[in-house]
Amino acid sequence: MNEEKEVEEQSKPLVLEKLEAAHADALLAQDEVRGTTVVVVRKERAYAVLEYLKTDPELAYIYLVDVTAVDNSRMESELMQFDYARFMVVYQLYSYQGQCRVRVKVPVHENDLSISSATGLWRAANWLERETYDMFGIHFEGHPDLRRILMPDDFEGHPLRKDYPLRGRGERERFNFDKQNV
Amino acid sequence: MGLDFGPDTGQDGNIITTTIDKVVNWGRKNSLWPMPFGTACCAIEMMATLASKYDLSRFGSEAIRFSPRQSDLLIVSGRISIKMMPVLKRIYDQMPDPKWVISMGACASCGGVFDTYTLIQGVDQFLPVDVYIPGCPPRPEDLIDAVLQVQQKIDSGTLPKGVSHY
Repeated sequence: MNEEKEVEEQSKPLVLEKLEAAHADALLAQDEVRGTTVVVVRKERAYAVLEYLKTDPELAYIYLVDVTAVDNSRMESELMQFDYARFMVVYQLYSYQGQCRVRVKVPVHENDLSISSATGLWRAANWLERETYDMFGIHFEGHPDLRRILMPDDFEGHPLRKDYPLRGRGERERFNFDKQNV
Repeated sequence: MGLDFGPDTGQDGNIITTTIDKVVNWGRKNSLWPMPFGTACCAIEMMATLASKYDLSRFGSEAIRFSPRQSDLLIVSGRISIKMMPVLKRIYDQMPDPKWVISMGACASCGGVFDTYTLIQGVDQFLPVDVYIPGCPPRPEDLIDAVLQVQQKIDSGTLPKGVSHY
């Protein structure tokens, strides 16, 4: 048992080694969940870390799989330790070269919902960040076209926030055909 | 059809007496042109209904039109969100009269399991639904039965007064 554990410790992921060397001050935490390396990154340094992960020739996380967010406002777990940031923006990256994934989590406080857009790195981030804005209200600074993508344009609120009621605030009943440009 | 055969005149054909209502309804009910509005898994069952195994054309409804202006039977099969409902209403408005609506499946009829902020809890709030089909999703036989019920409804109806052309 002990030997196995030692073997695991020896095979530390390359991405963690390199991040610790290059961006040690940006890392808040690190973990491994079901074979995927998870790093929690300070918001101010998130863009630099993402850029590093993409452009470093040994890492080459050139594929942005997903951008989403998590509302931790009803969660009492270790995730809340980062100065009680309500939201956690999550980037899922994949490296064809290393055939491995990394998950970058960025705590975002409720009183400052802005975060740098990753559209300058991956064009795929455009719609994914629009969805995150639509559902959670995260403002991606530098996004070329930050509009709602799923909900109607006149929708109010951000429905995937935990304080948004499941059955809505009367959108189904206050339905107005005239406001829609079909 | 309610045709009454008249006396044999001894000539080439028989005389048939009937009413305009019955003739027009007979033509309409056996030549329904459905407009499919498939947004979810019910649409898969609808496709199966139209395909060779279940073969809706046996009942005269095989002429699926993807233009609402050429169809008279709207089959709403699937979830309708508050963003999609204006589109559906627009399509219904574009269909020429007379027209009928089938609400296929639990989601179109009442929202189904999706009692959420974004989903219309039944398209009958905005459209005059003629036949509802329960099920999640309904089997193709259920859709065939619904089409037959629409046919019955057409058959039992009368033409509106003052219509000069049919």
